[in-house]
Amino acid sequence: MTSNGASEALDQERLPVELARRVEQFLFREAQLLDERRFEEWLALFCEDASYEAPLRITRERQVDSELSPTGRIFWDSKQTLGVRVQRLCSDFAWAEQPPSRTRHFVTNVRTWRADGVIQARCNLLVYRNRGEDPRADLYSADRMDELVEEGDDFRIRRRILVVDQANLTGNSLSVLL
Amino acid sequence: MRGAELTSVEEVLDRVRKELAEGRLPVEIFNSPAVFAAEQERLFRRAWLFLAHDSEIPEPGDYVLRNLAGNSVIVVRDEQGTVRCLLNMCRHRGNQVCKAAMGNASHFRCSYHGWTYANDGRLIGVPHIRTVYDGRLRRSDWNLLEVRTDSYQGLVFGCLDPGAPDLEEYLGGFQFYLDIYLRPGPGGTEVYAPPNQWVTETDWKICAENFAGDGYHTPVAHQFGFQLGYYASSASTHSQGYAVHFPHRGHGIGLGRTPGMTPFFGYPDEVVQGMAEALSPAQLELFKETRTAVSTVFPNLSLLIQPFSATPGEPGVRFCTMRLWQPIGVGRMQMLSWCLVPKDAPEAYKAEAYRAYTLAFGHGGMFEQDDFDNWSRVTAMAGNPAAQELSFPYLMGLDREPIADFPGPGVAVTPYMTETNFRNMWQTWLEYLERP
Ligand code: FES
Ligand SMILES: [Fe+2]
Repeated sequence: MTSNGASEALDQERLPVELARRVEQFLFREAQLLDERRFEEWLALFCEDASYEAPLRITRERQVDSELSPTGRIFWDSKQTLGVRVQRLCSDFAWAEQPPSRTRHFVTNVRTWRADGVIQARCNLLVYRNRGEDPRADLYSADRMDELVEEGDDFRIRRRILVVDQANLTGNSLSVLL
Repeated sequence: MRGAELTSVEEVLDRVRKELAEGRLPVEIFNSPAVFAAEQERLFRRAWLFLAHDSEIPEPGDYVLRNLAGNSVIVVRDEQGTVRCLLNMCRHRGNQVCKAAMGNASHFRCSYHGWTYANDGRLIGVPHIRTVYDGRLRRSDWNLLEVRTDSYQGLVFGCLDPGAPDLEEYLGGFQFYLDIYLRPGPGGTEVYAPPNQWVTETDWKICAENFAGDGYHTPVAHQFGFQLGYYASSASTHSQGYAVHFPHRGHGIGLGRTPGMTPFFGYPDEVVQGMAEALSPAQLELFKETRTAVSTVFPNLSLLIQPFSATPGEPGVRFCTMRLWQPIGVGRMQMLSWCLVPKDAPEAYKAEAYRAYTLAFGHGGMFEQDDFDNWSRVTAMAGNPAAQELSFPYLMGLDREPIADFPGPGVAVTPYMTETNFRNMWQTWLEYLERP
C-alpha cells in the first residue's frame, strides 16, 4: 500500500457485484462487533495465520515516494497477539477501557478486487471514539486494506494493513482496535 | 481554596522545600500554569535535553526535526559527520527552513525569499545579495542559530545554557546504569524505527517520576500482565531489587529482580555474549539478575528494559523502550516513544523485540494504555481547586540506609519498591527552579 494515492484498487479485476456486496456486508458486520465490544466474536473473524499491522506515517518531503516507515508500526499483531489484547479487554483489569470507550467505526468507499485469486478489500475507515463525560472525541481516519479468504458463504481476514492519516496522534491511550 | 492561577511559583516552591524534607509533595505542582512557566524558564533552558539517537541520522545530510524546550530544531549530520542542532528558523524573516519530520538534505532553502543554508547551518545563498544589500549584509552574521550538543553512547542531547557543565558531568556516573540499555554489545544500540508520537493531557513529571522506578504501581496498574501470565514476575516477589539515585543530578533507576531467574533471560545468546564483551564485571554481576530496569535521565528522558511474553508462562522476549516526555502546555505533553535494539543482534530478535514493544509500550501497547489512562486522570485531578492545598505522601524508604557495598555508583537502597529516587528527583527539580 502506498500513501500517495497510487491505487491498487482502481485498475484491478473487480469482483462480481453480488460477491462485492457480501464483502461489504462482512466489513460492516465486523465493524459492528467492535462497536458492540464483542471482541471474542471479532477475533474469530481472523484466520489462524492472520496479520494485523498499522505502519507508522512519517511527515516527509513530497519527493519521497512513501510516507510510511518501512520498519515502524503502531500495531504489529498476529492472531495470537490480538488474542492477548482481546483476553485483556475481556478481563477485569483493562483499566484504560474502564469505563469503555464508545466507538463508531465508519467503513466507506469500499473497493474490492481479486489479486492472485485472493479477495482484496480497501476502504476508508473513520473511527470516532469518546470516553466518559468528556465532550471531546478522538477521530482516527485510516486507509485500510484487507486480504480476505472465502469460507463457505462467509469470509475470514488473513491480512489487515491500516495506515492512520496522522503522524502525531491524539488519545491519552490508544486502547481501541481499528 | 486558592485558584491555581493566583499562586505564585515562589509560594509553591516554598511549600515544596518545606514538605519534601518531611516526605510530602504539594499536589498543585502537577498541573499549574505558574509551575509550567517556571519549568520552561529555569529547568528546560538549563538542563541537557534528549534530542535524537545517532542511528536516526546515520548518513551525512540525514536530519530529524525535534523540539528542544519549545523550540523547533533540526538535528542534522553535516557533510563532515558532525551532529548539529540548528534552530529551524530562517534568519531573514523567521520562516521554517525545514518542514519534514525527517529526511536527507545537503542544504535547507527557505521558501519565503530563498535564503539557503548548508546542512552545518552556514548561510551560503542570499538572492540578489549584491543588488539589494549593497555589501551591508555579511552572510557569516546570519547563520542558523546553533545549539550546543553532546552525546553518550549514541544518545544526542542539546543544552540551551552555554554555562551548563558538559554532559559527562551532568550524567555524573549514571552512565554505569545507562549501559544496561545502551551497551548490549560492542556495537551499542540503534532505533528499530522512528518514534511513535502522540499528544496527551498529562503532566510530564508524573511519567518521569514513574519511570524513575515506580515498582509499586506495576502489579496493580498492569495487573492483567500478572494475572494472565504475560509478565515474568509474580506480584508477591515483585518488590525485590534496588533503587539507585544520583543526588543533585536527579537521575534514578529501579532494578527489579526475580529470585532464581535465569541470568539475562529473554535475550538471544548473541546479545548475552555481546554484553560480556561490552560491560564491566561489576555491571554484568548486577545486570544479570535484573529483570526490569526502569530509569529516568533527569529531567524527561526515560528508558525501560522489560520482558514480555505473548504466551502465558514463558519467559518471553526482552525489549528496550526509550521515551521522551515533552511538556507542551499546562498538563499537556508530546510523547515520543522509541524501541532500541542491540545493533549486533540477529535481525529476527530485533523484529521480535519490536513486536513485544508495540504490544506492551507503543502508543497502542497494553502497559502504555494502563499508564496513560491513570496519568491523565492524575493530571486532571491535580488541577481541581480542592487539590491546591493537598499533598501527596513520599514516605516510602524515608528511613532506609543506603547499601554500603553496592557494586555500582550512586546511592542504592533496597527494595525496588521505594520512593527514594523520587524524593531525589524532586529535590533536584527544586534546586533548578529555585535558581532565578
Ligand atoms: S524568511 Fe527566509 S528568506 Fe525570507
Ligand atoms: Fe507502568
